[in-house]
Amino acid sequence: MSKVRTDTIAAVATPPGRSAISLIRVSGPAAFEVLNRIFKTGGKKTFPLPHCAYYGSIIEPIAGLIADKVLVTTFVAPHSYTGENLVEVSTHGNIVVVSKVLQIILQNGARGAEPGEFTRRAFLNGKMDLLEVEAVSQLLSADSMSQARLALNQLDGLPSHFVGRIRAHLLDHLVQLEASLNFPEDAIEAIDEHILARELKKIRAELQIFADNARNGSMVAGGLKVALLGRPNSGKSSIMNYMLGRERAIVTDIAGTTRDTLEESLMIGNYAIKLIDTAGLREPGDRIEAIGIERTRRAVDDAFALIGVFDGSSQPDSDDRLVLAELDRAGKPCIILRNKTDLPQQLPDNFFGGRDQLQASALNGLGLEQLVASLSALISQSGLGGYEELVLLGAQQSAALERALASLDRACAGIGRMYQDMLAIDLEETVRELGRVNGETVDVNTLDLIFERFCIGK
Amino acid sequence: MQKIEKYSVIVVGAGHAGCEAALASSRLGIDTLLLTMNLSTIALMPCNPSIGGPGKGHLVREIGALGGEMPACIDETCVQMKWLNTSKGPAVRSRRAQADKYLYRQRMTQTLFTAANLTLRQGHVTEIVVENGCVAGVALETGLRFSCDRLIVTSGTYLNSRIILGRASWPGGPHDQRAATGLSESLQSHGVALRRLQTATPPRILKSSVDFSKLSELPGDPESGGFLWENRLRHYDRQISCYLAFTDADSVAAVRRNLSESPLVLENITNDGPKHCPSIDRKIIRFPDMVKHQIFVEPEGWQSEELYLQGLTTAMPPTAQKDIVSSVKGLENAVILRYGYAIEYDALAPGLIRKTMENRAIKGLYSAGQLNGTSGYEEAAAQGLIAGINAALALKGRPSYWPSRTNSYIGVLVDDLSTWQKPEPYRITPGHAEFRLTLRDDSAERRLTEDGYRIGLVNEARYRVISSWKMRIENELERLAALSLFPSGETREKLVQLGTGDLKKRVSGCEILQRPGISYSDVKNLLGENAETWLSAADEIYSIETEVKYSGYFEREAENIVQTRFLESIRLPLQILDQRLKVLSPQTIELLTSDKYDDLNQLVRKNCLSRSELAILLIVLQKDLTAVGETEVLND
Ligand SMILES: Cc1cc2nc3c(=O)[nH]c(=O)nc-3n(C[C@H](O)[C@H](O)[C@H](O)COP(=O)(O)OP(=O)(O)OC[C@H]3O[C@@H](n4cnc5c(N)ncnc54)[C@H](O)[C@@H]3O)c2cc1C
Ligand SMILES: Nc1nc2c(ncn2[C@@H]2O[C@H](COP(=O)(O)OP(=O)(O)OP(=O)(O)O)[C@@H](O)[C@H]2O)c(=O)[nH]1
Ligand SMILES: [Mg+2]
Repeated sequence: MSKVRTDTIAAVATPPGRSAISLIRVSGPAAFEVLNRIFKTGGKKTFPLPHCAYYGSIIEPIAGLIADKVLVTTFVAPHSYTGENLVEVSTHGNIVVVSKVLQIILQNGARGAEPGEFTRRAFLNGKMDLLEVEAVSQLLSADSMSQARLALNQLDGLPSHFVGRIRAHLLDHLVQLEASLNFPEDAIEAIDEHILARELKKIRAELQIFADNARNGSMVAGGLKVALLGRPNSGKSSIMNYMLGRERAIVTDIAGTTRDTLEESLMIGNYAIKLIDTAGLREPGDRIEAIGIERTRRAVDDAFALIGVFDGSSQPDSDDRLVLAELDRAGKPCIILRNKTDLPQQLPDNFFGGRDQLQASALNGLGLEQLVASLSALISQSGLGGYEELVLLGAQQSAALERALASLDRACAGIGRMYQDMLAIDLEETVRELGRVNGETVDVNTLDLIFERFCIGK
Repeated sequence: MQKIEKYSVIVVGAGHAGCEAALASSRLGIDTLLLTMNLSTIALMPCNPSIGGPGKGHLVREIGALGGEMPACIDETCVQMKWLNTSKGPAVRSRRAQADKYLYRQRMTQTLFTAANLTLRQGHVTEIVVENGCVAGVALETGLRFSCDRLIVTSGTYLNSRIILGRASWPGGPHDQRAATGLSESLQSHGVALRRLQTATPPRILKSSVDFSKLSELPGDPESGGFLWENRLRHYDRQISCYLAFTDADSVAAVRRNLSESPLVLENITNDGPKHCPSIDRKIIRFPDMVKHQIFVEPEGWQSEELYLQGLTTAMPPTAQKDIVSSVKGLENAVILRYGYAIEYDALAPGLIRKTMENRAIKGLYSAGQLNGTSGYEEAAAQGLIAGINAALALKGRPSYWPSRTNSYIGVLVDDLSTWQKPEPYRITPGHAEFRLTLRDDSAERRLTEDGYRIGLVNEARYRVISSWKMRIENELERLAALSLFPSGETREKLVQLGTGDLKKRVSGCEILQRPGISYSDVKNLLGENAETWLSAADEIYSIETEVKYSGYFEREAENIVQTRFLESIRLPLQILDQRLKVLSPQTIELLTSDKYDDLNQLVRKNCLSRSELAILLIVLQKDLTAVGETEVLND
């Protein structure tokens, strides 16, 4: 059932304060009428022709004053982003100008769009599925090339294709199963449970890869978390500040200065990184510190990669060993950094047991470029470099995917041992949840499919 | 002037829907008149001589649990009873009976004639009388009139019905009855929209002309028990078999060479027939590569010389039917006694009936059965029961009975029907039920008898026995959960003997029963039979084993049930529109406030609401929900 609203909406589509040009979108049946009232084209082309770009002025109709010189592009339903008549008005980026133009549009027949309403209309008009909707919202707020590429990749419909294919495959099996359950006396070929078991396992494996990609996708989309780990006073906050190019974290020579985790974004190559400064790891001295250290451990668990920071100018102590142990426990990509190389070195090389170490000094920045290069290499080695594979899911969709995996697991475990009606319940749930992942109609009508495929009846 | 007789409820039609409706209403103490075109064809089975099967059998069980008549009648008059789908799991397992269709009619007729508060008359209703938008009575072809407060129309396949046989066609009802004329036009004149549907039946052949040596025998199952709770453990020692035949390339060729005479090809009939009963012509057209189609050869009664050919439905002309039947191995010399035919009839247009079987267009009007666009005896009976119950409850000033999708196939049926938009007739199957583990055949009384008792169709004595049976099962489930099994040497030895894994720590009775291959009696053995009282009835043990073994599935289903109940409890149209709901689209507001849907769950099932709209609605309505309560409680 289509529920397209009949009114016309408008909103600024570009995020505030980021570009020289701002884009205002007007969508709905009256989009062209609205523009007709306020737009005067500079050229000879009649306005509005479908799918044309016009240069001209937005004029406040009552006062007759020009608000801005703009570029207007027309799109005719259903061949537009929203599937409705759509006009895009490119204005100068100045916030005052943009507000003025929007105000004029709103006074002449459009109403302000609710957040996400354009995308919702696009979805309702069948212009995009849920995965794509998710991608658009990510695209609009993308900070880095990698995030934007990921969102664009999603818009090409690749992941939804994949989910759609898996779902169709499972639905096929479900229909076969349901046919024999619903119509026991129609000579429907019995299910070969061995073959089905094999098939389901294969699908299960494919879906697992997809789920992993989704997990990686959300990591990339949210910024890859890299945590700085080290005993107090090893120089973590100094490194953070240096990399950010400003004094974000407080640095003192008092051990235990940083008491809570700090998160800041920066770009490394094409990737958005969330660098996390943590409270130095040691046997806690007080309760606040204990809590801080607890948070450090959590940050370690959440992180994509770790940087172990060691003070090269002092003898290793038990806290340093604690840090090494923590790095091992986490089992994540990590870089070992010997800091304070500007001072005489006391930390023996063999302390790291032959592992690679980087030499750096947060005081003068020596060696920190090497740190950036190493991080960059870590990311590409991790396989996250292949954006093509990554998938972006919203919270609802991830939950649906998890449920789909769980019910498919049950089906795989139960087949051959469980009655077929239970198997059908599990498969039905998998199909339903996969439908939620990419927003295909939730109502799976297996019965209709049965009648299409099998000769049922007396 | 003629004095007009008055009844509180009038039921038109004594098919399967009408019989249940009239019995329910009269048994609830309402003076009821049953008018039917022909008193000699009460509860006629114009098509297959069988009752039950997956979904349908569930309905029959539920009709019994609520206090309806169909299961009692078929249990007494069947010639065969068997279980279907036993190997496929508890959710889809169901009984099917072959009926002696003559005995069935006799017994149902007798039940109606001996029912208190129930009057039967032969009469052809040609008009319904409506006063001030409310039903007021009916007029007959003879000019007689009756007045009433509630009217239940169950006209089956008779309204303006037309028989089609090849190129020939004439007005008429099933089984050489008359067509019902006038009533369609009367309904339409009061704003009730109709549509045209069709169905068809296969030829009947002479038993003595069949070569049974070429068919395979399909015997019944003496241990299957009957549909009625009281008959659940009944033995059926004397049964008649069915037989199975197959079409082959010759039959396909026979159909093909006669295809030009098929109404399907002639297009002298509406296309909207039951999907699940395609004619043999349709099967050959749609699945051209299939050669082997099953034909079930079914007896029509103990004494009957006629056999029904399930699978050979057709409305081709007689010569073609002969050609096709004799192409089947074993039926080479079969004599056709009655030819198959198709029938086209008027049914209500979609969107007119509520879940209570009340009509949206005319107050006081109810309808049930084939008229509502279903097909099948069981579907008809279930709707008749609900219509009869609700007409009676309304007259008693009591709240209506709204069956829920979460506790019965009847609930699924009436809910689906009230939103059914497809061109073809509706037939119930487990595929329609989303909670089919809960709606198992064996749990019907546990789900519904309480309702039947509150409504008043289940009497005190019956309610007591069924309740104590229910308590036995439920207490035993609790007891098993509380029982402990410790890993003693003896126990572990026994477990090894049973071929199941070792025991390391204490487990409950339920946990041990959950192990594959462990039965209730094994658990009893392990735990020592003397100490406690153990159940011995097969049906009770079956329910317990099922619910324990699949408890994970039940729990997941239970979560969804809670959600559905909640959505069902929000009745539409909304009486007051909260200001905050004005943010919804006008279309959605229209759906919520106009009389098109019965509850919010229907809108959700039909994908009428976006997720955000539903979220807004639930937030806004949440407050009032405490007042609505979970399910309608019937008072008094
Ligand atoms: C040819 C044929 C083939 C069928 N094939 C199948 C099949 O394959 N599978 C299946 O599940 N079902 C089939 N059916 C349907 C099955 O017979 C019906 O679903 C079932 O009988 C419907 O019950 P009902 O009570 O609604 O109506 P019916 O059993 O049709 O009963 C209607 C009653 O109403 C009476 N009546 C009608 N109009 C009036 C009036 N104006 N005044 C007074 N009395 C009136 C009639 O006399 C009759 O007693 C078939 C039916 C026919 C006729
Ligand atoms: N000489 C020298 N001093 C450094 C270097 N890096 C950090 N320091 C000094 O070491 C002290 C501790 O530095 P921080 O950055 O606060 O160390 P930290 O690891 O964040 O310490 P906590 O927050 O207490 O866990 C400060 O006095 C810094 O100036 C370095 O590379 N060379
Ligand atoms: Mg610090």
